[in-house]
Amino acid sequence: MGKSPTHVLVVDDEEDLELLVRQKFRRRIREGDLKFLFAHNGKEALEVLDENPEVYLVLSDINMPVMDGLTMLGQLADSEQDVQAVIVSAYGDMKNIRTAMNRGAFDFLTKPIDFNDLEVTIEKGIKHVQALQIALDTRDRLVAVKQELEMAREVQMSLQPKELPANDNYDVKAAIISAKEVGGDLYDFFFIDESRLGLVIADVSGKGVPAALFTTVTRALLRAAVSRDYSTPSDCLMLVNNLLCESNTSCIFITLFFGVLDLRTGELSYSNAGHNPPRVLTTDSKVEVVPKTNNLVLGIQPGHAYHNKQVQLMPGDTLFLYTDGITEAEDSKSEEFTESRLDEKLAGLANTSSERVATEIVDAVQEFVGDAPQSDDITCMAARFLAPLTVSS
Amino acid sequence: MEERAKLSVEAEQSDKATILVVIGRVDGSSVGILESAVQEQINAGHKTLIFDFKDLSYISSAGLRALLIAARLTQKEGGKALFCALAEHIAEIFEISGFNEILDIRSTRADAFGAL
Repeated sequence: MGKSPTHVLVVDDEEDLELLVRQKFRRRIREGDLKFLFAHNGKEALEVLDENPEVYLVLSDINMPVMDGLTMLGQLADSEQDVQAVIVSAYGDMKNIRTAMNRGAFDFLTKPIDFNDLEVTIEKGIKHVQALQIALDTRDRLVAVKQELEMAREVQMSLQPKELPANDNYDVKAAIISAKEVGGDLYDFFFIDESRLGLVIADVSGKGVPAALFTTVTRALLRAAVSRDYSTPSDCLMLVNNLLCESNTSCIFITLFFGVLDLRTGELSYSNAGHNPPRVLTTDSKVEVVPKTNNLVLGIQPGHAYHNKQVQLMPGDTLFLYTDGITEAEDSKSEEFTESRLDEKLAGLANTSSERVATEIVDAVQEFVGDAPQSDDITCMAARFLAPLTVSS
Repeated sequence: MEERAKLSVEAEQSDKATILVVIGRVDGSSVGILESAVQEQINAGHKTLIFDFKDLSYISSAGLRALLIAARLTQKEGGKALFCALAEHIAEIFEISGFNEILDIRSTRADAFGAL
């Protein structure tokens, strides 16, 4: 690809600057490295700039008829053109030089013009303009990436499950606060059949776009596994794990808890792929850890056998699921929120709605963190079993 | 922004293995230090690595991923990776995530050498 010449506009009402430039830079003009344009006063210069947006560097005299150099500088500063100006003034004319610099001139030369100084100043100006151009291009690209991330965030948000209607049997509410535009945490809830509610919480290793892609795939695979032929949570996890392993060469993994609440009985059947154990908050303010199933995270070992366990929820009990963004949230002294703070806070929320549990826990974490930067996604979900569902057969 | 050196990795060479003493916190922002330390040993032809975790204060999922990659890399080279001296709360992270099932974890450095 041929490099296009750098365009420089020279503005002077006398011929000497033009002659000097044409002569001294003739080799570089011939080689197509530099291209000079000429104007004879400020007004003409502005017109040339208008017609030639490729000009980024202007070399201008101050005293000229029609419009002087300083007035031109002022108008350039008000316009949107990204032009750098080098001003030429009489030796010792500090007052005009100061005015020019204050109006945004990039550098100045004094008369009589020393050719070496002219060349160095033009070189410096060109380098400066090129660096600015790179910075502007980079900024434009960043803006574009940021817009795409915003769109990705909207897509990710739209994939989250819709609120379930209020009813007498259960009450589910989740809260998620991503540390970046798109997150690596996932929650989901859905009906498997008319009486069984699936509840999912998960956390991908890493953050940002790679993690978000992985959560999106996992959500889709798990939903597909459930709708295909549901038997137990562990069967679904085994299928999802094998599918994730097939195409995962980067060793990204996901911790995931999948529970199925039978609304007829309050029994929660679950399998836990390496995720922080959820809690059961009982009506008498006890906070019980849901026993581990001792299973590996998803996505790294094909054929891994996942197991099921069951816990019994009594009417009014709340299952609380969370990611380590809650327990490992740090305050400004690098102190962690910890499981004990979580359990203590939960104990005070017995017999309240899922919305209140989710909101108060997230609020407590945010209050604890204070002004410290959020380093991880914060996600939790509360699912309360209200009363057994009677199903007419 | 003030940034403490929250992670350092010290390598000690012995006849049978390279010991990597991991000191501090391994999380998303520091995991690169651990990854390059491992890569450096692999590049130098050291394919048997013993990770000494006695001074490891915390490891996030990004850190666990780096360990998994280390285990796979050493295995590919015909060597192995062992992990020893886990504090109780670190052992719990390995247990919850199930990594204790797929990584070779030994209680002391001597036990790790004994397993070579």
